[in-house]
Amino acid sequence: MATTGSVTATPGAAFGWAAMPLSRRVLLLRVALIAAIVLIWEAVAASGLLFQDVVPSLLIIGRTLVSLLTDPDLKWPIDAGVGGFRLAFELWIPAFYWHLYVTIAEVAVALAIGGLMGLAVGLALGANPFLSAAFERFLYYLGPTPKIVFLPVMIMWFGVGPESKVAMGTISCFFPVVLSAAAGMRQIDNVLIRVGRSFRLNTRQMVTKIYLPAMREPIVNGVRLGLGVALIGTLLAETKLSNKGVGFQIMDAYNTFDMPRMYAVLGVLFVIAIGANALVGRASRG
Amino acid sequence: MPTADPILVVENIVKRFETPDGVLTAVEDVSFAVAPGEFLAVIGPSGCGKSTLFNVIGGLLDGYDGRVMVGGETVRGPHPSVGMIFQEESTFPWRTVIDNVAFPLEIAGMAKAERLEKARHFVEMVGLDGFERRYPAELSGGMRQRVSMARTLASEPKIMLMDEPFAALDEQTRLLLGDKVLQIQQDLKQTTLLITHNLTEAVQLSDRILVMTYRPGKTKRIVEIKLPRPRTSEIVGSDDFGRYVAQIWSDLREEASKGLKDDESRVARAGGKRR
Amino acid sequence: MTTRASIGRQFVPVAFGIVCLLVFFVLVEALVRIGTINPFIVPLPSEIVLSFKRIVVEEQILPRFLLTCGEALMASLMLSVAGIALGVLLHRKRIVRLATETWIAAMASAPIVLMYPLFLVIFGRSAWTIIMIAFVAALPPVILKTLEGLSSTRPVLINVGRSFNLTPSQLYWKILFPSSLPTIFVGVRLGMIFALINIVGVEFLINFGGLGQLVNELSERYDLPGTYAAICFVIMVSVMFFIATERIERWLRPGA
Repeated sequence: MATTGSVTATPGAAFGWAAMPLSRRVLLLRVALIAAIVLIWEAVAASGLLFQDVVPSLLIIGRTLVSLLTDPDLKWPIDAGVGGFRLAFELWIPAFYWHLYVTIAEVAVALAIGGLMGLAVGLALGANPFLSAAFERFLYYLGPTPKIVFLPVMIMWFGVGPESKVAMGTISCFFPVVLSAAAGMRQIDNVLIRVGRSFRLNTRQMVTKIYLPAMREPIVNGVRLGLGVALIGTLLAETKLSNKGVGFQIMDAYNTFDMPRMYAVLGVLFVIAIGANALVGRASRG
Repeated sequence: MPTADPILVVENIVKRFETPDGVLTAVEDVSFAVAPGEFLAVIGPSGCGKSTLFNVIGGLLDGYDGRVMVGGETVRGPHPSVGMIFQEESTFPWRTVIDNVAFPLEIAGMAKAERLEKARHFVEMVGLDGFERRYPAELSGGMRQRVSMARTLASEPKIMLMDEPFAALDEQTRLLLGDKVLQIQQDLKQTTLLITHNLTEAVQLSDRILVMTYRPGKTKRIVEIKLPRPRTSEIVGSDDFGRYVAQIWSDLREEASKGLKDDESRVARAGGKRR
Repeated sequence: MTTRASIGRQFVPVAFGIVCLLVFFVLVEALVRIGTINPFIVPLPSEIVLSFKRIVVEEQILPRFLLTCGEALMASLMLSVAGIALGVLLHRKRIVRLATETWIAAMASAPIVLMYPLFLVIFGRSAWTIIMIAFVAALPPVILKTLEGLSSTRPVLINVGRSFNLTPSQLYWKILFPSSLPTIFVGVRLGMIFALINIVGVEFLINFGGLGQLVNELSERYDLPGTYAAICFVIMVSVMFFIATERIERWLRPGA
C-alpha cells in the first residue's frame, strides 16, 4: 500500500514534527512522558499535599538507592577451612544484597519444586483423559484464588522461617504450570505421538524426545506466569511475617517510616521482576 | 457498445503500488463504460489487478491516475449510488440477519419500525425469509453471502460492484446463487459490475465480458454475450454457452500462464535470497 | 450423540474425582485422630465442617462477604471504564500506542501489589486502599486486551463501513467496537479476577475488610478449625466469582 504521510496541524509542527521519522517521534514522546511524570512527582513532593515525606523528592530516593546498593552495612563472617588452610575474616557488604539473595533463593526453590511438580502432574493429566476429566476441573477452578490466604496454614506447617515462604511460592506457581502443561500436552499433534510409538520408545524417551520438545512454548509460558506469581507469593509472605528478604525490607522501611528506602527497594524489585519476565519471554521466542 | 448515456464510466485508470521490490503497476490504462441496467463481468487471472480496480471504482483506494464517473459526475470516494459486495465473509456477527440488512437504513437515520419493514423486503428478495432473527453464525456460507447482498441492496444503489462474491462457495451453491443474482438484477433493473476469475459464472450472468491481461492489468478484449434474457442456470448446458466459454478461455489461458511463470520465477528468486 | 451410555461415561471420571477427594478427607480425619498428624497443625476435617456454622453466625459472614464484593465491584467498574477508555485511546493514537504499549505490558508483569504499604500511607487503612491497589494492579490486562480486540477487527468489516460512507465516529461505535467486544470482555474478566485476588490478599495483609481479614483474624486467635473454614469460604467465593464471569462471557458471544 502507498504510505500516507498526513501532515496535520499540531502544536509540535513548529519543531518539524511531521518531518521526523516515526522512531524519533516515539522516542520524543517517551521522553516527554517520563519528564512529565518526574515533574508531577517533584511537584507533589515539594507541595506537601500528602503527609510529610510520603512522596520524597526523587533526588533523595536516588541517594538512598545508591547508599542501599553500595554502603556496606552488614557483616558477613566467612570461616572456611580446606586441608591445613583456614580462612577466617569478616566481609562487609550492603545488607540489601544479602536480603536479595534470600528472596531469590526462596523464589528459585519454589519455582523448582512447584514447577517440576506442576510439570509432572500436568503431563500425567494431559496424557490421560480419564484423570484429566476427574481432577483437572478442581485445579482449573482453584487456580484464580488468592493463595496468600493459605499463609497461616503454611506457617503452621513449616514454621516462620524461609520454608513457609518457599511453600507459598510453590503453591502459587504450581497452578499455572500444571494447567499450561496439561493443555500443552493435549495440543500436541497426534501424528508426533504415533511416530514415537512406531519407533517403540519407552516412557522416558517419549517424554524427553517427543513430549517436552513439542510442548516447549506452552511450558515456557506457564513457567513465565509461574515465575510472576511465585515472586508475588514469596514476597507477600515475607512482608507478612519474616525477618529477612526483600519483602521484609519493604515492610521494615514502612514500619520505620523510612519512605525513601521503601521506594528504593521497590524500584530495584520492579526492575528485577520486569527484567526476569522479559528474559523468560525472550527464551520462549528463541 | 452501450447506446444510452452510460451510468458508470471508467477512464484511463492507472494504479501503482510501492513495494519493497520496487514500484508495481497493478492496473494500467483501463477504460470502459457501463450502460444503465447492464451486467458487465471483469475477468482475468489472479494478479491481473481486478480487485484493485474494484477498490478504485468503489472509492476505497486513492492515489490513482484517471477518472471514475458515476452518473456523469467524477467520484473519488465511496459513493451512495455504488454498492459493494466483498469476497470475504462480511456480515456483522453481532447483529441478527434483519439488523444486518437494516444497517444502511439505520445509518441513514430511518426510524426503527420503518427500516425493519424495508429490510424485511430485501431479506425476502434474497430468499431468506424466516431467518430474520438468526445470527450469521447459525447460517451457511452461501446464506451469509445472501445477507451481505441484501444489506447492500437495502441501500438501493444504482450500481452494484461485486468482488468474487461466490469465491468461497461450492459449485452448486454458486450456480443457484447466480440465478438469484440474475433474478434480482432483472427485477430491479440494476447495473452490475462483477469481478471474477470464474469463466462459467461470467458467461452465465453477464451481457458483456471484459478480459484483463496479467499484471500490469490492461483491457485485453471485450466480448458481447448474446445469450437470451431472462436467463437461468440451465443456460450452462447450451451450445452457445460452450462456444463463448471456449472463445474466452484461450485468452484467459494465455494470461494465466504468464501469471504462473511469474510466480515460479518469484519463488525461485526468493528461495535463493533466503540462505 | 448423547446416549445414556455416553452421559454415564462423562459422569464416571467426575464421580471418581469427587470420591477421591472424599477418601482423602476421611484419610486425614483418621490420621489426625490416631495422632500421626499433629492435631495442633491440622484440625479434624469434621471439626472444620462443624465450625462453618459457627463462623457464619458469629463472624458476620454476610457483611464481610458484602464488603469484599463491594470492593470487588467498585474496582471492577473503575477497571473497565479506565481500561477500555485507555485501550481506545491507544488504538486511535498510533504514536501513543507505539510509545507506551511495551511499558503497559511490563507493568502487567510487575508485582504492583507489593506497593501496598505505600497505598496504606496514602489512603489510610480503609476500603479505598484495597480498591486502589486492585485497580492499578489489574488495569494493564484490560488495556492490552481492548487494544488487541480493536486492532484485530477484520479489515473487510471496516471496508463495509467505508463503502457505506460511515463517519469515523460511526465506524468506531457501529463496527470496531461491537466486533471487539468478545476480546474486550476477556480482558475485563481477567482484570476482575486479578482484582478479586488482590483484594482478598490485601485484606489479609493489612487486616482490614471482609473475608481476607477474617482469615487473618481467626489465625491470630489460633482458632484452627475456624481458620481453615474461613479459607474454605474464600475459595468458595472465588470459585463462584470465576464461574459467574465465565457464564457472562459465554452469554456475550451469541451464536459464536
